[in-house]
Amino acid sequence: MGVIYIGDRYAGKTHLALELANPVHECVKVLSPGYNDLKSILCDPATGSTNPTSVMQPRQIDIQVRLPAGAGKVLVDWIDTPGEMWRLKWQQDNPLLWQQFLDVIKQSEGIMLVLSPYGEMIGANGNPDDFPTFQQWYKRFERWVEFFRAYCPNLRHLLICLNKADLFCDVKQESARLAYNTDSYMMNWHQRHNYILDHYFRPVKPQLEQLNRSINGLSVRCFITTIYDRSLLEIPWIYLGSFLSN
Amino acid sequence: MGNIRIIGPRSSGKTTYLAALAYLPKASGEKSYFKIEPVGEDAKKLAAEAENIICLSESLTPTGVRTKDIFSLPVYQFTIDVKLPLRQPERIDLVVRDYPGEIFDELEAGNIDEVHQAFMQDCFMSDVEGCLILLSKWEEGSDRFYKRVFNQFLELMDNEGRGSNLRIAIAMSKCERGELWPGRIEPEVDLFGLHLPDTKALLESRIPAKNLAFFAVSTFGVLRRDDPRPNRTDEMGYDGKVSVLRQPKIWQPYGMMAPLYWLNSGKRIKHNV
Repeated sequence: MGVIYIGDRYAGKTHLALELANPVHECVKVLSPGYNDLKSILCDPATGSTNPTSVMQPRQIDIQVRLPAGAGKVLVDWIDTPGEMWRLKWQQDNPLLWQQFLDVIKQSEGIMLVLSPYGEMIGANGNPDDFPTFQQWYKRFERWVEFFRAYCPNLRHLLICLNKADLFCDVKQESARLAYNTDSYMMNWHQRHNYILDHYFRPVKPQLEQLNRSINGLSVRCFITTIYDRSLLEIPWIYLGSFLSN
Repeated sequence: MGNIRIIGPRSSGKTTYLAALAYLPKASGEKSYFKIEPVGEDAKKLAAEAENIICLSESLTPTGVRTKDIFSLPVYQFTIDVKLPLRQPERIDLVVRDYPGEIFDELEAGNIDEVHQAFMQDCFMSDVEGCLILLSKWEEGSDRFYKRVFNQFLELMDNEGRGSNLRIAIAMSKCERGELWPGRIEPEVDLFGLHLPDTKALLESRIPAKNLAFFAVSTFGVLRRDDPRPNRTDEMGYDGKVSVLRQPKIWQPYGMMAPLYWLNSGKRIKHNV
């Protein structure tokens, strides 16, 4: 059972995955590949920054998640996709690769979609001009909804992560509010989802509800993530682990 | 060995019922008359799902969407030690199969697909002792729908030679709902007689009385004895809306064991057990 990990260009997918493998963890531990191995694959040794994904790259990641009933293992077939892949031109220029990708995604029961925030959300820590405008983001989101409806009939768990939360909210405060704690449940999954939906996904709420209804058996959940807060980074994976772990 | 099958419409709470059965012994301690032990990989996985998913107010993945054929259908096994007052202790080995709810829709349409036909044949095999049928709808129109379904179901049952030798427990699920909760004490009269009279009459006319019984089941239960609000809320989820547990720490199901015990032994116990 593969989990597909996809997202917009410059949404920070690669960095997010790399940070997940950081040995300093809470409930989610990447068993393989190790942090250094992953870093050597994903980062430019000269600059230390992550390489943009240029080719479709299937990778396997073994993740262990600590859940209330004990540790569970999630086997992730991570198909790291170049951001350009979502452009029509790339799909037309690479029909075989595109079809190959669709064949995989059609079978998938779990998808983690990483989105960047839009410029109007960005606070003092970032430059709004580095991000799409709300209008562009909104259009792009609608295309994602169409994509899932058209190509993902078997999809059961869609996790939408609005990444770079450090640029649009008080991370410390949100992390404390949304924290997952196996001993005392602060928020349950629904409360967490509803809070994020109301605060960060409100403009696309109708699209999310429509998507939930249009694929039989699908559950859509929204998250905010950042590499600067371990708790927020892990929460979507804990959610996935609850359903897809062995 | 008690071979039991569970069927019912989509979202009638079949898998959640079994998950509660697998998990709640761990949560309810020693006071129960029934000591339930999940046995085997499938039942233990279900118990873990109850703890990881239901107790965190999420809902399980619907069975239909993870079932490709009869071989991929999980087999849930339980060992149940029963110690009822004034009765000899007994042990029940229960083997339960839970079919996807889509079968119910297909029965109504009279057009069952190949995979689901295999499920129905499995349901009526000679070593199956009984079938628990969970129904969740009671609103207007439900009676006609269920009657059409049972017409097909009873015909298949007769064709497989099980018309007179298969116990059928009909349970109204999700009885924590305010409209149904007061009817839980006498479900035959106050739930089925009142809301599904034609379905009830059809079943009574085709199944020998000793093989038919009516029950009220509430997997989530209500908040407290003096606060009968449902211990559930409706949230956005699979197919639009799903019901999830409201307060996991006071989770107290109602009437879970009574139908299973009757299916296995033919004996009735208190309705609220």
